[in-house]
Parts: sequence; C-alpha cells; structure tokens
Amino acid sequence: MTEVAQLATLIIFAANALLVAGLIALKTTHRIRGRQQAKRKRRYMGLVSRHIAYPNCTDPITPAMATDPAFLDAVIDVRNAVVGPEVETLRGIVDRHGVMAHQIRRLRSSFPLGRRLRAAVALAELGDETAAGVLIHHLSDREPEIRIQAAKGLGRMGWTPAIDVIVGRFATETPWVRARFADTLLGFGSAATWPLLAYITVNHRFEREGPVAAIRALAALGDDQATQTLIEVLHEATDPEVKIATVETLGALGSPRAVPVLRNQIRSPDWRIRAKTVTALGEIGDVGSLDLLARALTDSDWWVRRNAAAALAKVGGGVDRLYEALIGKDRFAADAAAESLADAGELAAARRRIGEGRPRERDMTLVGHMSGDRP
Amino acid sequence: MIGDLLGIVGEGILIYFILMQLYLAYLAARSAAVLRRSHHLGRFGRITEMLSSRTSPPVSIVIPAYNEVAGIVDSVRSMSLVRYPRLELVIVNDGSTDGTLETLVAALSLERVTIPYRGDIPTAEIRGIYRGRGATDLTVIDKANGGRGDALNAGLNAARYPYALCTDADVILDPECLMRAMQRVVEDRERTVAVGGNVRPLNGCRLELGHLVDAEVPKGIIERMQVLEYLRTFVASRPAWSDMNAHPLVSGAFGVWKRSAALAVGGFTRGHMGEDMDLTMRLHRYHADRGIPYRIVYEPSAVIWTEVPSTRRVLRRQRIRWHRGLMSAVRDFMPMTFNPRYGTLGLVTWPAMVLFEYLAPMIEAAGWLIIPLALALGTLNSSSLLWLAAIAFGVGLANSLISLMLDESYGYFNSPADASRLLTMALIENLGLRQMTVVWRIRALFGGRTVRAWGDMERRGVAGLATGP
Repeated sequence: MTEVAQLATLIIFAANALLVAGLIALKTTHRIRGRQQAKRKRRYMGLVSRHIAYPNCTDPITPAMATDPAFLDAVIDVRNAVVGPEVETLRGIVDRHGVMAHQIRRLRSSFPLGRRLRAAVALAELGDETAAGVLIHHLSDREPEIRIQAAKGLGRMGWTPAIDVIVGRFATETPWVRARFADTLLGFGSAATWPLLAYITVNHRFEREGPVAAIRALAALGDDQATQTLIEVLHEATDPEVKIATVETLGALGSPRAVPVLRNQIRSPDWRIRAKTVTALGEIGDVGSLDLLARALTDSDWWVRRNAAAALAKVGGGVDRLYEALIGKDRFAADAAAESLADAGELAAARRRIGEGRPRERDMTLVGHMSGDRP
Repeated sequence: MIGDLLGIVGEGILIYFILMQLYLAYLAARSAAVLRRSHHLGRFGRITEMLSSRTSPPVSIVIPAYNEVAGIVDSVRSMSLVRYPRLELVIVNDGSTDGTLETLVAALSLERVTIPYRGDIPTAEIRGIYRGRGATDLTVIDKANGGRGDALNAGLNAARYPYALCTDADVILDPECLMRAMQRVVEDRERTVAVGGNVRPLNGCRLELGHLVDAEVPKGIIERMQVLEYLRTFVASRPAWSDMNAHPLVSGAFGVWKRSAALAVGGFTRGHMGEDMDLTMRLHRYHADRGIPYRIVYEPSAVIWTEVPSTRRVLRRQRIRWHRGLMSAVRDFMPMTFNPRYGTLGLVTWPAMVLFEYLAPMIEAAGWLIIPLALALGTLNSSSLLWLAAIAFGVGLANSLISLMLDESYGYFNSPADASRLLTMALIENLGLRQMTVVWRIRALFGGRTVRAWGDMERRGVAGLATGP
C-alpha cells in the first residue's frame, strides 16, 4: 500500500513540477513572442508603406519576411488603409515576394487549423483573380471557417462565376456557414439575384433551410427584380418558414406589387405569418391596407396586434387609427397603440404642446393613457 | 471487525477519489481541445461578421435588481456599451427598498408609460413600467418583491426580442461577450435553446467608465481562491460539457435563453435557490422527453466579470445557498440520473454532478472521520496517511495548474506578479481553504431555509469594487 502511494505521489509531484515549468514557459513565451511580433509588425508596416510611397525604395523585403505571420498582418493592415492605385502597388509587392503563393501552400489540409485559417484570411483579404481558383476549390473545404473565408474572398473580388457555386452549397451547409454565405453574396450585388431566385424556385418545395437563407439574402440585396418571383413563391409555398421569410423579404423590398398577395396572408391560420404580414404592409406603407391593419389590432394573437400598431404608425393616416384604438375597449390594443404612438414621437410632441399651453384633445388622451396607474 | 469495515469504506473512498480525478482529467482534456479550436476561430473575423450581419437575431438584456442603488446606474451604462447590432435593456426592480428605482428614474431620465405587457409567466404584481428617453432602448419594470427568479420571469415577459440575456446588476460585460455568445445561436438557431458564458471574478480588476481596463488577481486570499475555483469550473469543465451537449448549468450571471423555450417550460422557478440550474435541467428534460432536437452550449470567449464575496462570512452564506440550490436540483431531477433517455447528460454529467458535487462534501467528511479512527485502531499507519495526504494535495494542485494552463489562451493574468500569486494560491488553497468550503457545504445539508432568495452579496457597486485608476 505504502509503496504504491509513494510511487503515485512521486508521479503526481513530477507531473506538477512539469506543469509549473510548462506554465512559466508558456507565460514567458507568450509575453516575449507577443512583444516581438508586435515590434516586427510595426517595422514591416513601415517597410511596406515606404515601398508603396517610393517605388524605387531599396530597403530589402527578404523571403524570410514574406513568410513571417507578422508581415502578413502588416500587409493586411496596410491593405485596409490604402485606396486607389496604392492597392495595386501593394498587390505588386505581395506578388513579387511570393506572399500569396506561400499562403496558398499553407491552405493545404496537412497544416494545422491555425495556420490554415490565417492563410485563408490572407487570401480572402489580399487575394486577386489568380487566387480565385484556389478559393473556389476551398468552398468545399472540410473546415467551415475556411469555406467562409473562401466565399468572403470571392465576394470581395466580385468573382461572379463563384455565385452559382456558393448558392449551390446552401442546401448542404450548416446554418452558420449559410448565413455567412448569404452575407457574402451581398458583395456581388444584383448579379446574385437571379441565381438565388433560380435556386429558390427549384428547391422551396423540397427543403426549408436553404431556400429560407436564400430568400433572406434577397432581402439584404434589396433588388426589386426579385419581387415577382417571390410573389409566386408565396402563392405556392406550403412550408410556414418559407412563407415567413418570403413575407419579410417582400416587406423589405417595399414594392406595392406585393400588396395583394400580402393581404391574402393576413387570413393565414399561422399567427407568425399574420404578424410578419402586418409588418410587411407597414414597411411598404400601403394606405389601402389601413382598414386591414386597424382590424389586425384586434387579432387573437398579441404579437399580431403589437406589429399592427407599429405598422399603422408607418402608414399615412395610420396615426389617426392608433388614436382611435387608444380609446377602444381592447386594453392590449390600446397599450400597443400608445407604445407605437410614443415610438413615432407623438408622446413627446403631445407633452410639448401641453407644456406650451396649446394641447389638442387627443394629446390629453395619449398622455393620460401613458400615465395610467396600471400598465 | 471494525477494522475490516473501515478498510472497505476506505477502499470505497479511494475508488471514488480515483473516479472523480479521472472524470476531471477527461473534462480538462476535452476542454483543452474545445478551447484551442475556439481560440483559433475567435481570432479570424467571426465577431466583425456578427456585428455587420443582418442575420444576428436581436437580444433583450434582462437585469433583475434588488437593492442595487450603489451600482445600478454604472451597470446600466456599462451594459449599454455592449457591442451588438440590435438590443434592448430590460431592468426589473424587484421591490427594492433602498431607492433603486428612484435612482434609475432620476439618472436615466425615465418616464412612466403604459405599454403592452403580457404576463406569459405569472409573477408578483407589476407596479409600473418606465421607458428611457435616451439613445439606449431601455425599459424598467417595477414590481413587488418576489425573488430573483420572479424578477427574471417579469423580464422575460416584457422582453420584445426572441433571445434574452439574463444577467445580474453587479456584473461588467465584456463589450464583445454578447456577440461571441450569439454566434453560437446563429450557428444553429433552430436547436440552440441556451448559451452560457465565462464568468470571472471582478474583484481587483481595474475599471474605467464602466469598462474593464486591466484584469488583475485580487489581493484578498478569499477572493484569490475564488479566481482559481472559477477557472477550474469555467475553463476546465464547462467547455467539455458543452461539447458533449450535456451542460447541466448555464450560469445565472450570464445566460442567453431562447425566450420561446424558456416560456415553454414556465420560466424560472420562483423562490428556487439554484434557479439557473433548475431552468437548464428543465430545458434538457422538456426537449429530451418530447424528442425535440436541441442544444445547450457554453461559449468560453463570452467573458463577463462579476463581484465575488470578499469576506468569509459572505462566502459562507453564498456557498450554503449554492449547495442548497444543488440539493433541490438533485431531488427534482433524480429520475434523470443514470437515465439513458437523456443521453450523455443522463449517463455522465448529471450523475457526475450528483456524485462529485452533491455527495463530495459528505464523502470527504466521512474520510475525515475514518482517518483518525483508522489511525487509532491501527488499520492505517501514519506513514501511509502522509503519503495519501500528499497524493490528495498533489492532485488538487494539478487540477488548478491545468486550469491555469488552459486559461493562457485568454491572455489575462499575464504579469509575473499575477502568475506568481495564482501559483502560490494553487499551492496553499488545499491547506485549509478548500476544506473550509467543504464544511460550509455540509452545513447546507442541515437547517432550514435561513438564506434569502436574493443572494447574499453585500453590494459595493461596480465602481467601489474594483481598484480605480
């Protein structure tokens, strides 16, 4: 028993000694390495800046520097600071010294994740058309963050052949990557609209997450060309998530052409669709929907009522309907109307008028409602 | 006869000890892998993407407050500086008697309003709702006293957004913590129902204008001991729990909850002394029982700083309260223990919580009783006792050292002075300090509910707590 305990103690204390030594070494290394890297980065930033400012600069950039992570960080920082022809000059420096070639090699899967990620970020930030092929290849990398960086790089350089590949991967990607891909597509502008619409049209009946992400990407793109196809999708779609995303996007696109199809959705049995529909009608600002929105203030679901109140504040003449709701019997609708009026600046204006001694009748109603004893 | 019995019990305790250390070693190894990956991913642009993306879901920050007049305004100002595309602050004044509400109204130019409030979860009476006039989207709910869980439920009722970050009034949020936590939600919005964050002791840190400027190891021994405890928990265990989707405790100091999921299980339990663990476990049970795919995750890079007790008296009260909360949870969720229906949670992490957290003080105390008895009866000689004590000391030390090594990726406590303070603390905490907490936890097993439902901290306020510039 004692011998075993002695051996165990010896092993544990030896391990502890190693841990202490390791900890001290780790802390010391981190401190020294961090300082040295920051110092080298500052030096490289000066060097690269001189090469940009004075094309005949003779200060050497050695091959060892070009493979130093601090040099890469310096180049990325300089890249974010320069504009116009200086960008091309910087790109020339990077090409001449083989920085990108080195990073492309490091992107290979045999390297550890940290190095691969650094290489992917470098290519995304600095890569030009010559790196596009590599980035397209890495859109199917096994590492999600590298796929994201590849898409970012392609979006930054506006490499339109990549759009179909990125959209095509929507169906199989994780939600995080899909969301990042959707963000990336914004970089392509309206060139991404039709590939996205084609993907949605073909796939919305068979899957959910891919089309939903694509529809939301269209909202961010804000291209009105998408309206007609989305109206058709809203007619045909059976999946509530697809419908919700479509209603939201039609609201964001703001086209009056979507109003008839949206008005139909207000009868949906799904409260989420009704709630999004009233918001969309508010976004479009359709005066013809005033009655519909006022009726939605008495919907069975409180989110629909709250959204309807917010929507009414955005539609011409809607404020009057909100004041009417304020004196109505439905307490929740009255509170929602009051909140919406306050958000629209009516409460502040009412208080000002009261303070100036020229209040309107409804000013007193709103202020009186807001200072009610019971919420 | 007695000697044989003592031998059997002693061997049982030894096996228990070995199992516990193997479990902790496994958690540390798995946490190391998770932290390494998180560190790499955190360095390359994820946060910027979250900030600029339209896909970041809006978040309500819910802050319950009870007699927080000393620091509530600083806290609100600090929280309004959190970087996130769209958020609102919902402060719930839980019947404070020290003028917390009046201070808020005066300092933040609040006005009383009548806006929609839906009582999804029943709470104590709502006395009024106030809105801020400034740039921050701020709502203050004034309600009758009902305890922390009740206040959080009122906050969940008033929250307008689909995710609620439930935190405390005495914490300092790292400006990027919410984005870091929410990236886990964006990764998988359908399945993610809760995200926990990395809580660290604020005592001793340097603050400027509600921002943490420099993390320093506090000077008091009680506070320093807690720094190590927090590291062992938040750095060396929780990443592994999260990786196994078997996280039994999303900390009350920082928990992002999917509002619809929290409402589905009835919100926080009113008057529960471990309402955070209770809600976490009920979410596990709710989803597993219904076969709904879900995940409860922990994000180590979402860092917040909280005040920890600086005196033995307050620490004692806090530990008794925590252990009673754990006792309630163990009783409530006993059917989940060793139950394969709940996956890794039911088979590994929850049983480990019962065995190595709930029962640990009792087993350790049993050891303290058996050792003198065994020495007296001659079944244990003093030489063996010394070696066993050395092993226990060495293993405890190793646990702390491993946590310190894992914590290196965050870059806190890097000065030689801080490092040496923590190393010294790791050496001495097993020479009486840790045993002190064991005694308190045993104390928690006896007596009635003598502690209050609103925690035990004596508030100094964020500004008074940290060392100023």
